[in-house]
Amino acid sequence: MKEALYKKELWITIIFTILLLLTGHFASIFILFPSLQGGTMWGFPVQYIVPILMGWFGMMVVCIVMAVVCNKFDDEMEAYAKSQGQDVLTDKSKGGF
Amino acid sequence: MGSEFALQNIWVGVIVVVVLFAICYGIGYVSGKMTTSEDDFYAAGFKIGPVTNGLSMAATWASLATFLGVIALISKLQVPFVYLWIQWAISIPLLTLLYGTSLRRMKAYTPGTFIKARYGNAATLVVAGWMILIMVMYALGQMIGLGQAFELLFGIPYNIGLIVAGIATVGYITLGGMYGASYNAAFQMVIMTIAMIVPMGAIMKQMGSSGWWFPPLAYGDMVPSMLKVLPTFFDMKYDFRWYFALIPAFTLGPVALPHLAMRVFTSSSVKNARWAVVWFIFFLGLLFSGTYTSGFAGNFFQATTGKVISKPDQTLLILNVFYNPVWVAAFVMGGALAAGLSTVGGNLMAISGLVGNDILTVLAPTMDSKTRVKWGFVALGLGGIIAVLLAFKPPKFLVTSILWAFGLLASTATPGILLGVWWKEANKLALMVSSIICGVIYIVISPHVIPSIVVGKGVTAALGMAGGLVTVPLSFTLFIFLSIIFNRIAGLQSFAPTLKDKQVIDRIHGWGDYDETRYNGLTWPIILAIVCIFITIWGLQPWKF
Repeated sequence: MKEALYKKELWITIIFTILLLLTGHFASIFILFPSLQGGTMWGFPVQYIVPILMGWFGMMVVCIVMAVVCNKFDDEMEAYAKSQGQDVLTDKSKGGF
Repeated sequence: MGSEFALQNIWVGVIVVVVLFAICYGIGYVSGKMTTSEDDFYAAGFKIGPVTNGLSMAATWASLATFLGVIALISKLQVPFVYLWIQWAISIPLLTLLYGTSLRRMKAYTPGTFIKARYGNAATLVVAGWMILIMVMYALGQMIGLGQAFELLFGIPYNIGLIVAGIATVGYITLGGMYGASYNAAFQMVIMTIAMIVPMGAIMKQMGSSGWWFPPLAYGDMVPSMLKVLPTFFDMKYDFRWYFALIPAFTLGPVALPHLAMRVFTSSSVKNARWAVVWFIFFLGLLFSGTYTSGFAGNFFQATTGKVISKPDQTLLILNVFYNPVWVAAFVMGGALAAGLSTVGGNLMAISGLVGNDILTVLAPTMDSKTRVKWGFVALGLGGIIAVLLAFKPPKFLVTSILWAFGLLASTATPGILLGVWWKEANKLALMVSSIICGVIYIVISPHVIPSIVVGKGVTAALGMAGGLVTVPLSFTLFIFLSIIFNRIAGLQSFAPTLKDKQVIDRIHGWGDYDETRYNGLTWPIILAIVCIFITIWGLQPWKF
């Protein structure tokens, strides 16, 4: 369980880091694959409007999923720590640093 | 052309500014009464809810540049600058994911609090020193903008506008601490969004767009006209390296910005911090998309009317003076002022936290928290005064260097924070050495200090993109390899991470137990360092632009 939670934390971090970088830097996709340029959407060239939409709504969707997944992961961590009788840092902790 | 685009009725501007500051002072006064402890002063008692915090995050990020400089740079670089601006939104989600919620668990006031807990006193002085320098530079840029906004609104000399704006701004922030800065920033974000979006709708209607009802996204019908008058507007222009260089300088730099991280620390809980990030993206996306529309409209205006905007920084005001009634133009300037105020608020609170909490706990560890808060107030005021004084006769490179400062932060602080949270081998001495070396190299190879030694060309070098592509990966490489080496030298064991340092890492990730093998591998850090070496070499190759 402990090992699985650790791996899960690492994978969550890696996957969401990649997704955030991808949505925020979506224009790079049009540079790497120039054949994607040339189309239009809502009257705009796709290489203009798609990065804007990805940097706004695309990133928002990633952040919503991130909040749900990370909050659920925190619950799993706390539940695991409680099952082991451990004391963990939470928002109610005094910190101690 | 200047007089044609000045605000015709100064009293309208006076009313807008007086009302804006009266509300800010009112919020600051009420918030000040809520401030009774160090937690209240630096982190709003860790009690700000997700929507308010999301608005505050967006306001703190959206500076005067959103209203002034961005539109000017879209006129200069056109669409590539839009791409550059889009990626700023990743900063707070990324810092929340990579270290924000971890540091929120330890109830940190600034990232410096973590540096002290993880790396000790000497490293705190190095990293907090860089952060304070960058915060002052950042606040300086806002002060210059505020002075210029007062100059435009009232027709008074820049220096007088600067003094009035500086005193008024520092005053209300000092009054309310982080509660005041947070609630004021939320209010200011609402003002600046309305000021950006609504008048732009009226402008677009007069320009002939059928999408005037939603200016941020519905101006596609103007594209054919734009392409006729300015065929290069949508061109990608640069090769892949230009777009990749945005990541080290402009994505990894803001990740370490203390005034952004502090917005995560003010959240009422770790979970709410993550939801605040969702609201942050929504509000910032709305404002930023409005900015791109203004940049598009500025280019369109010049191309179709034949009028030349000699001061591109003032494009938004000029469009409003040209197309809208005077009170609307004054309200838009009020929105720009709000953007400057919220960012200065964040900058000064960060300086206050870095000095009052992080540095003083190093230099005077026995000082009680009430005295530290008093020194925090002093640091806040001094930071504001220094920014105002520098803004009187700003060195040229300081005016344009807010973006440049992000690369400096990415070179000096980001590796220490990220590796410190995720890698137990991160060594105190390695952090200090890599931070100082790469910070100095970044300054030297930029065109602002020794123009004969420079990496990159033109705007790419001036903004710090070319320098960042060299020194940010170099900083990661040095930090990783030096950590591995120093940890294995018997004479340097005093700098190696102690068991207590390593326990901090497990605790802030939410673990109740300690495991030596967790966050302690060598393979991935070495792979990262090798990749960074190649990126550094790539950055050193001659730039075409």
